[in-house]
Amino acid sequence: MQLLEMKGITKLYADDLVANDSVDFSLEEREIHAIVGENGAGKTTLMKILYGLEQPDSGSILFRGVKKSIHSPLDANRLGIGMVHQHFKLIPDFTVAENVVLGIEPLRAKIFVDHVTAAREIRRVIESHGFSIDPNARVRSLTVGQMQQVEIVKMLYRKAELLILDEPTSVLTEQEIDSLFSTLRSLREDGKTCIIITHKLQEVMDISDRVTVMRKGGVVAVRSTSEVDKAELSRLMVGKNMLFQLDRKYAACGDSALEFKDVTIRQRGSNRPLLDRVNLTVRSCEIVGVAGVSGNGLGELEDSAAGLRRIDSGQILFDGQDISGLSTGELRARGLAYVPADRLHRGSSLSSTVTENLIVTNHHNFLRAGFLKSGKIRHYATKLVESFAIDGGPRIAIGTLSGGNIQKVILARELTGEAKIVVVSEPTWGLDVASSQFVYEKILEMRSAGAGILFISSNLDEIIGIADSIAVMYRGKVVGFLRNEQDQSKEFKEFIGEYMLGLRDDFVSPDDFVSRDDFAVRAKGESS
Amino acid sequence: MKGRQSASGVLSTVMGLALTILFSFGLVILLIFLLSKMPAKTIYAFFIGPFSNKYYLGNMLNVAVPLIFTGLGIAVAFKSSVFNLGGEGQVYAGGLAATIACLAIPHAPGLVGMALALVAAATVSAAIAGFSGFFRMKWDADEMISSFLLSAAVALVCNYFITGPFDDPNNNILSTYPIAKQFGLLKIFPPSKLNVSAFLAIAAAILVYIFMNKTHAGYEMRMCGLNREFSRYGGIKVSRYLVLPMILSGALHGLGGGLMVLGTYQAAIKGFSFGMGWNGIAVALIARNNPLGVLPAALLFAYLDAGAKSAMLGGDVTFEIASIAQSFIFYLVTAQALYDIVRKRRRA
Amino acid sequence: MSSNSSYSVPLVFNAVEIMTPFLLAGIGGLFTELAGMLNIALEGLMLAGAFFSIVFAAATGNLFLGIAMGVLSSMLLALLFGTITLKLRANVFITGLATNLFASGFTVVLAYQLFHTKGVIQFQNIPKLPVLVVPDFLQRIPILGDILFGHNIIVYLTWALVLLSAIVIYRTPFGLRLRGTGINADTIVSLGLSPQKYQLAGILISGFTCGLAGAMLTIRLAAFVPEITSGRGWIALVAIYLGNKTPFGIAVASFVFGLTESFSNYAQGAIKIPSDFILALPYVITVAAMILYAVWRHSRATR
Ligand SMILES: Nc1ncnc2c1ncn2[C@@H]1O[C@H](COP(=O)(O)OP(=O)(O)O)[C@@H](O)[C@H]1O
Ligand SMILES: [Mg+2]
Repeated sequence: MQLLEMKGITKLYADDLVANDSVDFSLEEREIHAIVGENGAGKTTLMKILYGLEQPDSGSILFRGVKKSIHSPLDANRLGIGMVHQHFKLIPDFTVAENVVLGIEPLRAKIFVDHVTAAREIRRVIESHGFSIDPNARVRSLTVGQMQQVEIVKMLYRKAELLILDEPTSVLTEQEIDSLFSTLRSLREDGKTCIIITHKLQEVMDISDRVTVMRKGGVVAVRSTSEVDKAELSRLMVGKNMLFQLDRKYAACGDSALEFKDVTIRQRGSNRPLLDRVNLTVRSCEIVGVAGVSGNGLGELEDSAAGLRRIDSGQILFDGQDISGLSTGELRARGLAYVPADRLHRGSSLSSTVTENLIVTNHHNFLRAGFLKSGKIRHYATKLVESFAIDGGPRIAIGTLSGGNIQKVILARELTGEAKIVVVSEPTWGLDVASSQFVYEKILEMRSAGAGILFISSNLDEIIGIADSIAVMYRGKVVGFLRNEQDQSKEFKEFIGEYMLGLRDDFVSPDDFVSRDDFAVRAKGESS
Repeated sequence: MKGRQSASGVLSTVMGLALTILFSFGLVILLIFLLSKMPAKTIYAFFIGPFSNKYYLGNMLNVAVPLIFTGLGIAVAFKSSVFNLGGEGQVYAGGLAATIACLAIPHAPGLVGMALALVAAATVSAAIAGFSGFFRMKWDADEMISSFLLSAAVALVCNYFITGPFDDPNNNILSTYPIAKQFGLLKIFPPSKLNVSAFLAIAAAILVYIFMNKTHAGYEMRMCGLNREFSRYGGIKVSRYLVLPMILSGALHGLGGGLMVLGTYQAAIKGFSFGMGWNGIAVALIARNNPLGVLPAALLFAYLDAGAKSAMLGGDVTFEIASIAQSFIFYLVTAQALYDIVRKRRRA
Repeated sequence: MSSNSSYSVPLVFNAVEIMTPFLLAGIGGLFTELAGMLNIALEGLMLAGAFFSIVFAAATGNLFLGIAMGVLSSMLLALLFGTITLKLRANVFITGLATNLFASGFTVVLAYQLFHTKGVIQFQNIPKLPVLVVPDFLQRIPILGDILFGHNIIVYLTWALVLLSAIVIYRTPFGLRLRGTGINADTIVSLGLSPQKYQLAGILISGFTCGLAGAMLTIRLAAFVPEITSGRGWIALVAIYLGNKTPFGIAVASFVFGLTESFSNYAQGAIKIPSDFILALPYVITVAAMILYAVWRHSRATR
């Protein structure tokens, strides 16, 4: 039976920005329906309209055959629609229970929040769906996977019958994704309906019953999952065939460029180590991929390598010299280039122009007696904008560009000129296939030019695709160090996933690689 | 194409401002109708009075001079996301420092004395403001609160010096001894008090504009103001730009106070600069922290001030309606919704 | 020993009285602060309350009607401040300045219109604020009895408000949502609630308490003095930060201010220091306290 029908939905954000262009979307009861599409295709906008967070400029919504207007998330909740946002809407200082009941708090004596009832009911929801969170824990202390569970519990507590999940897997490990998917299947068993937005086509195949493909604000296809394959989906999404193919040859050429020796960082005010005696070496012409679930020290590794965070003990060596305690500026002077994970706040200044963003690292090269040489700067920026094919030109505010173009500006700044060491973190997060490909090519170019590259990412696919060796971090420790053989099999990913979840921690020496054969042996040992 | 877009952005900002000002003027007229027994005469005095003779006109322009300096001082700080709320005390201290410098060297040649007085004014106020910047840099103590508190304390200490050790017993207002004649700035629009400090104010606005937009330090300062994490990431010495904007801001405030003494009062009078600090904030915000925009914004405030004075003399309302008129402008000047209305209109 | 306590008891007694306006404004300001808005309008709201409460009390001869009108006018001004800030989306800092400027201009203009003076206005027929009478055995508790009892009822009302605000902030849905608004307004939107509603509520609450604070200033003096608040709203704002944004913390910070001011009042009569220096003392002590606190926090964070 049909649960939902959205007809002719159009949404304009500005005069010339059509986020949804008369979109038709329908949903059967008790199905898991995937929506796929490049970034900016309008998936989130369509879901926000369904959830009452945005109002469409035209179009109508039929829910269980009845025309409804959804003006606010409260209306949506009343209809039994719940949404888990791509960026979690949680209050880190509150407990799980407080986050879940916020807005519909159970009352004691008619005026007080009834924490006891809240915790009891939440515990019931948690247990009946096999989640693993404590209602009284502070959200701040949870892992990303657990935060997502809080979001789901929040919606189930609101008696959601239709659950919308916007890119839920992008922050999860392979194992966490498996567990999310089994949750979704059991919800379907309970008679609930799910919409899941994702970029990863394998996930579409794994979980969905039907799939809607969006491109440039419109729906280009609706299929039963059993009747499509990944190649066709990918063609529908981008409009042409795209293959994820990197031309790369392993060629570590030099000595250690960047070396972590027993590096430890402790959490402020407590003794909990965020980085725990990390040893790691990046050589020239080598890409060391660092994998891990967020919250396990990747951020601290990135910050300390880039001079943005003091280490408590140990040493960081740069070309053999101790650089612990130097600022980013001093490191840059020695040959650091750095593409940060947080590209909107750290990597760019959104209200500044593209030019101002491009010269932040090297504006001292354009000086005459304390004055900036504006002609030279204009020339330099124009050249970079052209060679990196950045939309819009050098004089517009970078904040008005799309995510992919912002990242191109950052890459243009960091990967132009010479660098001895390149720290890259989550470089393709949220980018579409074509932009990601561009990023990989630029990084490989830097490697060919002789730089050592520390490639930090929570996306295992790309680490396996690009890195020469892989370090896996868990709770601030390097628990595994493997030579990478570009093995994209599910088994290999799960093998690494075991390190990421702390189920294995047998390799801590950077000189002691696990090779593909070792893996095969170990994997067999496990299964027998 | 992009250039045109930003030009139209400036245009709608200007039109929004014009709308705000007209609306505020309307409220002032309404207020006068409510308060005055001879509204027509009072309204005329308020709006036309400042232009009615050279004396009023010149004095109005002269009031704008310190506002330009305090407005610039705030613009420099706010552009760097450093919040100097101590303008009141800094202007006052600058004026007092200039006075004391002049009193210390009563026989020095005019230009030497003026230069020394202004250096003293700028230094003292820069130091006062610099403290707050330093505390912020060193221990992350909120500069907004500390500069406000320091300024309040400094103002009281200045009161002490003006009414105590330096008090001139020969006059019946609370003021220091007058500075020597040769230190007075040249009057340029007699009989009004307008003097050469007006040229200095225009020059200061241009210099600050060039500094912020064309120099190395200005670029780094602006970047730090927009996004400190980005700046540190890019290799800029961020902590330096918590202190430098405070020092510049304090120095500009101090110059404003010093020039008031040299140009207008020839002595430090108790409370002579009160209001200049707060109004400097409003001037800077109306100018959107643009140093060149500070010039017209300061003139607008001086106009309201002159209008209220003229309405008090030529009509029957009290001077404080200037505060009310200014508050109307404060209320509306940043109201985003008003600018949206203008923008939509223009598009339609 | 005994001469010591005979000085210090009235010192502390006065401190308790003096801290009350700070505390009231601070508690109200806390609600806006928690909702994520910087409220520098406390000063102006207090001034409005001060002026209108005494004028209405004098006009009607009824103390409580006067205080009620003072509170109402302060809340109306808060409504103006809140509406312009939230509905017209104006910068909260500059609308706060506007509110202060408006209040200081408007009270003087109105005083001039009504009483034809811009100076101190004395009122003859203002009844005294009632003092809470406690049983004798309480009053006779050594030291504490003399410090805690014998204040006017606004002092005790303020203590009750501190307690009440702690309950509202930490125990009720309103408090939960208010704090949520300040930490992440997006979350509140995603739940279908309106952050602006909670912010406006916070502003109105600050109008209420500031009105009361202002009333206490003028009614106690039986006079209105232009700018009678003289920076108390700002000090209250500082108290919110020094009090770590908790009701009880604000109470402690306000007490410290009360004590310094009470001490400087005492010193003014007893010690030969220029009065301007003594008046500057609360500011100097506050800034010193603030910096010491920052140093302490800093050293803890980097340890
Ligand atoms: N609040 C907004 N204001 C302006 N433009 C927006 C806003 N949200 C999304 N957009 C734009 O609308 C388009 C569709 O965005 P979105 O629905 O988020 O895409 P998707 O979720 O498929 O990546 C994009 O071009 C995006 O930049
Ligand atoms: Mg999206």
